[in-house]
Amino acid sequence: MSAPVVGIVGFGFMGRVHAAAWRAVGAELGPVLMRPGHGHADELAAAGCTPVTDVDEFLAAVDVVDICLPTALHREFALRAAEAGRPTLCEKPLALSTRDAHDIVEAFERAGVPLQVAHVLRFDAEYAAARRVVASGDLGEVAVLRLTRSSFAPDRGAGSWFSDDAQSGGIVFDLMIHDLDYALWVAGPVATAFGRVASGGAGHAIAILRHESGALSHIEASWANPDQRFDTAGEIAGTRGLLRFSSETSRTMSVRLRAEPEAQSTGLGDIALRSNPFEAQAAEFLAAVWSGGAQRSTPRDGLAAVALAEAVRRSIFSGRPERPERPDRLEPAADRSS
Amino acid sequence: MRVAFLGVAHVHADAYAETLRAAGVEIVGAADRDAERASAWGRRHAVPVFDDPAALVAQADAVIVCSETAFHLESVLLAAEAGCDILCEKPLGRSMAESRRLVEACDERGVRLVTAFPARFDPTMRRTKDLVANGSLGVVRAITGVNQSVMPLRDRAWFADPALAGGGAMMDHIVHLADLCTWMLGAEPESVYAVANRVMHSTVVSVETSGLVMLGYPGGVFASIDCSWNRPLDYPTWGGLAMSVVADGGRVDAELGVQRLERFGGATPYSWIPWGIDSNERMLRDFLSPSVDAEAASGADGLSATRVALAALESARTGEVVALGTEPADG
Repeated sequence: MSAPVVGIVGFGFMGRVHAAAWRAVGAELGPVLMRPGHGHADELAAAGCTPVTDVDEFLAAVDVVDICLPTALHREFALRAAEAGRPTLCEKPLALSTRDAHDIVEAFERAGVPLQVAHVLRFDAEYAAARRVVASGDLGEVAVLRLTRSSFAPDRGAGSWFSDDAQSGGIVFDLMIHDLDYALWVAGPVATAFGRVASGGAGHAIAILRHESGALSHIEASWANPDQRFDTAGEIAGTRGLLRFSSETSRTMSVRLRAEPEAQSTGLGDIALRSNPFEAQAAEFLAAVWSGGAQRSTPRDGLAAVALAEAVRRSIFSGRPERPERPDRLEPAADRSS
Repeated sequence: MRVAFLGVAHVHADAYAETLRAAGVEIVGAADRDAERASAWGRRHAVPVFDDPAALVAQADAVIVCSETAFHLESVLLAAEAGCDILCEKPLGRSMAESRRLVEACDERGVRLVTAFPARFDPTMRRTKDLVANGSLGVVRAITGVNQSVMPLRDRAWFADPALAGGGAMMDHIVHLADLCTWMLGAEPESVYAVANRVMHSTVVSVETSGLVMLGYPGGVFASIDCSWNRPLDYPTWGGLAMSVVADGGRVDAELGVQRLERFGGATPYSWIPWGIDSNERMLRDFLSPSVDAEAASGADGLSATRVALAALESARTGEVVALGTEPADG
C-alpha cells in the first residue's frame, strides 16, 4: 500500500510541527490548505508542500486531513472533511464550545469517518507511562491528581489569533485543556469543576475537579513564567502508592550559555525524549485509519475535554462549581435551527 | 522560665520537649487526660507528670498546649487563669465558638497567646513574604500551596477522630497554608471553596483524607491548598509544605524540608535525613523570649486560619462556595 497523503489545513506553528511529524512517520505530505498570502512560503517550500486555497481541490488531493487552524475555525473545516469522508486529525481543542464540538463529532460518527483530536499528552512517553501505572492498579484507587503546566507567555507576533481569547479560548481552552484531558484519561468523568483565572498579567489559572469516581484533581496552567522556561509536573496519589514526575527532575542536561537563550515555543523539543509525542500521535492515528487500530484519543474524548474546559470557564464567570455538560444529552444537530 | 505541657497528644510534643531541653529550658511537668500516655511521655523525656493540671500550671510561667484539639479550650482556660503565656497547637478549636472563647480568655487575662504556626519562622517563607511586601514580585495573582502528609496513625490516630479533631485532613492541614497566605497577602480571604474525599484509608477512618481548597482574596487574588493525607505509609518523611506565588513580576517556588540527605539502604531501602533549619526551634525561642517577634502568629491569626478550615469543611459538605464576612462567623 502506498503511503497515505496527508493534507494539512493551516500552516502556522502547529502546522509546521505536524508536518515534521508526518514526514518522520513516513506519510506523504500533500497540499496545504491556506488562505492566500498567509503562512510561511519559505518553510512551505522547504517542506515540499504546495499551497492551495480551494477546499474542494484540497480535499480531492488528500487521503487524510490534519486541521491546524485557529480553534475558532475548526468546526467549518472539520465538517467539510467529514462530508468528504476524509479521516481527520484535529488540533486541540476540538472547538470552543461543547455544542460545536458535539456537531463535529456527530458529523464524523454519522459519516463513519475516523476523527482524532490531537491531545498529544496522551502520546508523551512520561504521561503515557504514568497512565499505564494507574491502569495497572499498582497505585490502587486514585485519590488526588495534581497536574501543572507552567510556561512563559506565548509570543506569536502582534495581532496573532492566539492572543485573542475569542479565537483561542484563552488559557483554559488552549493550555489547561492538555491536563484537563489527561485528568479525564486517568481519573474518569468529572462531576464538578471549579476554576479561577488571574484578573490580569500574562495568564494563570487553577481548576479543582471532583471526578465521578470520587478522585479530586488540581490543575494549574500558567503563562506567567518570566523566563523562557516551560515546566510541567504531575503527581498521582492512590490508596497503594504515590507517583510523581516533573520536567525539573527529568531534565537530562542543563546548558547555561552567556548568550541570550533562544526562545522555545513548546516544551517538547527535548532531544532526550524517548519518542516524539507528535510522531507517536501521527503514527497511531494512521494505524487507526488504515488498519482499524484502537484510538488512544477518541472523538468522544475530544468532546469531553471541551465540555470540561467549558465548565471550568463557566465556573470562572459564575464563581461557583459547575457541572460539565453531558454531550450525550445534547440534542442532535439536525434538530437545531442554528 | 518554667514551661509546662498541657497535653502531649500532639505530634509536635516530642520535638518541643527535645528542643526545650537542648536550649536548657526547665520543663516543670506535663499533664494529660490519658494517664498512660502521660507517664510514657514523661519517662521518655524525664519530665514529671502531674495528675492535677491546675497544680502544674501553678508552677509554670509558660504553657505549651499539645492536647487534642477538643481539649484546647479547657487547657487554655486553665493556663490563662494561672497567668501563663500560652503556645497552642493548631487549629485552635473544633468550632469558631470554641476557638473564639479561647482567644478571648487570653485577652481578658492579658496573657500572650501564640498559635503554633512555625512556618512563619522559616527564612524561606519570610523571604517569600518580603518579596511580596516589598514589591519585587509586582502584582500578585495567585498562590498554590501543598501541605500533604501521611495519615496520622497509632499514637496520633486522634487526628482522624472527628470528636477530638473536628475533622480530618482538612482540619489538620489547611490552617498552615491559610495562615501563610493571609500573612503574606496582608488580607483576609473573602471566600472558600473546597472538595474532599475519603479514597485513602476509607475503611479505617470516618473523616476526609484528601482535600483541595480554593481561597478568594480581595482584588481577584486566589490561593489553592492541597491538605491531603495521601502520602503512602512508607513515605520517607511525614509529608511536606510548599507554596508558589505567581505574580506579574515573576514567581517564587518555595518548599520546606528539602534540605536533606538522601540515603539508599540502611535501616530502610530509601530515606531522607533532614539537616536544615528547625522552624519549631525558632518559634519556641521567640515564645519564651521577653521580646516578641512581630511575625509570630497571634491568637487572632489562629482564629482566622481556623475559620478558613471550618469554612472549607462546610463548602466540601454543601458543594457551594462559602462567603466569609468581615467578622468571623459563628460556628
